[in-house]
Amino acid sequence: MLKMSRRLFVPMGGAGLAAAYTALRARTPERLVSPPGTSVVAIAKVSGYRCDLVRPILDGVRACGLNVRGKNVLLKPNLVEFDASTTINTDPAVVAAAYAAFHQLGAATVLVGEGPGHRRDTYNLARQAGYYAVASNFEQVFTDLNRDDVTGVPGFLGSETLYLPDTALRADIIVSLAKMKTHHWAGVTLSMKNLFGIVPGAVYGWPKNRLHYAGITTSILELNRMVRNTFAIVDGVIGMEGNGPIQGRPKPCGVLVMGRDLRAVDATCCRVMGIEPLQVEYLRMAGALGQIEEGRIEQRGEPVAAVATGFDVIGRFSHLKKNAKNFKDRG
Amino acid sequence: MDLLADRLGFLRGTQNADGGWGYFPGKKSWVEPTVWAALALARDPHSPPELSRAWGLLRDCQNSDGGWPSAPGVEGSTWVTALVITLGDVLGKKSSQLARAANWLQGLTGAETSTLNRVLRAVKAPAVEREVKDPGWPWRPGDSAWVEPTCHALIALKKVFRRTRDGAVGHRIEAGERMLLATRCADGGWNYGSPQALGVSLPGYVETTALALMGLQGNAPQGAVRRARSLKEGLRSPLAGACLSIALALCGAGENGRALTRRSSPDILLCALEALDPGLLQPGVQLC
Repeated sequence: MLKMSRRLFVPMGGAGLAAAYTALRARTPERLVSPPGTSVVAIAKVSGYRCDLVRPILDGVRACGLNVRGKNVLLKPNLVEFDASTTINTDPAVVAAAYAAFHQLGAATVLVGEGPGHRRDTYNLARQAGYYAVASNFEQVFTDLNRDDVTGVPGFLGSETLYLPDTALRADIIVSLAKMKTHHWAGVTLSMKNLFGIVPGAVYGWPKNRLHYAGITTSILELNRMVRNTFAIVDGVIGMEGNGPIQGRPKPCGVLVMGRDLRAVDATCCRVMGIEPLQVEYLRMAGALGQIEEGRIEQRGEPVAAVATGFDVIGRFSHLKKNAKNFKDRG
Repeated sequence: MDLLADRLGFLRGTQNADGGWGYFPGKKSWVEPTVWAALALARDPHSPPELSRAWGLLRDCQNSDGGWPSAPGVEGSTWVTALVITLGDVLGKKSSQLARAANWLQGLTGAETSTLNRVLRAVKAPAVEREVKDPGWPWRPGDSAWVEPTCHALIALKKVFRRTRDGAVGHRIEAGERMLLATRCADGGWNYGSPQALGVSLPGYVETTALALMGLQGNAPQGAVRRARSLKEGLRSPLAGACLSIALALCGAGENGRALTRRSSPDILLCALEALDPGLLQPGVQLC
């Protein structure tokens, strides 16, 4: 039996109280109840990265009622790590198509920015991942968000100042160009978690450990609460299943999922992946941020049923799968 | 054209009016690129004015707790404190400022070695998949220890120990080295922190392997040095290449004269690391 001294008991008691408080907050009605109304989510079926991706993005952006004319747009892909044998990053073809589409839609500027979670040499990573093909002047339009100038934004976790890159803060619209992947800590990583990449490593380190200590779910919710001028395009042409977000397997799915309501987009992606969105903690707790119920999401383009496929998840997330036992029942 | 002179000229030409450097030309000053640019220029006999201005900026932005922020105006003391201690030692600064900084750094440990995390580990709920007996250094107070900040802390404290022979500093260095050796990956290199995640082995990366060797210096296992040398093959990242050259030189496995290529990047940190005299990171090495 574990003997516990007073010195050990005190911090454990504190941790218990903190956990109880977090659990209580998670059940606070305003965190669970969605706002009134509905949200539009567009699903485009595409056959691969070599087909025309600009047209489906143009159609999706228009279907979702996003007007970017005269606006400064920042494309924020998911650029994590390069491994030629799998599909970790938002594909450069999707980034290039979004870059062209937002220009065609009349954006004043279209920039690309990312702050990888643990790789320091962002430009080399972008080169390896094929991002230099996005634009002929890629180095002029790309910003390493890990090493950009920053400005403090108050209100993270209540009273904390969160430093964010000026390139992100100057943008009128941040497009979360996420990858459709499973995630070994969060269950899935889609457009909402993709905002981790705007948190600067030069302030928070590589990885951005502050976000992990605050809690992945809490940090996703806080970032999405603080950064509201967003639009999502999720690259599910070839996603990742299993032990994502880095060591998983490629999963062809053939979709782009788009929308202004990131919670609704992620919930729709989950349904496409064969995952029950209410079982994903951050989506369940993101009530105030958008819609999650199918009945409150206006589907445009392809219906979910036409593109749905089953993504494998690691054992600890087996309860996320549709038709899995109820969350409360899991051992 | 002399490629080293080109890099030093680039650094001299991109110093901000406040004496610091941004990560890229024209950007605000940050402590990390300021220290590395100053260290790179330290080999240049024409650079005393630049070094003096850089030190002036750093001197003025120390926090009251003894540590340094990531950048002037950014709250909180961070890992860059180690870099400033290293630069201060190289420049021969002997001030109470640096003594307070060394105290701050000495007291900084990764959260995974806290009492709570030791208990969680004892009851089989490990927050990190590595041995947590020996404390390393985090990026910021309250975070876990990682390879990179631990290596910079070791470089700095080894310089402090060389001057002070303070036993407490020596013990902390030994513990930090043990932490590094305990986080070595199965392939012989280092990842960013743990050697595995969810039971799956993680690969060593070039830059973190190089950083670990920079921190360990003479205490690096020969197998790790051999591993680092093998990583030069097919290396694509200029930043990793610069770190690897420094690391191998510090471990006595460098080649005579580094082969610099024509500078193609405006990245000030990269430029500074490529131009650095690795010997300046050794304990006891100061400018004359």
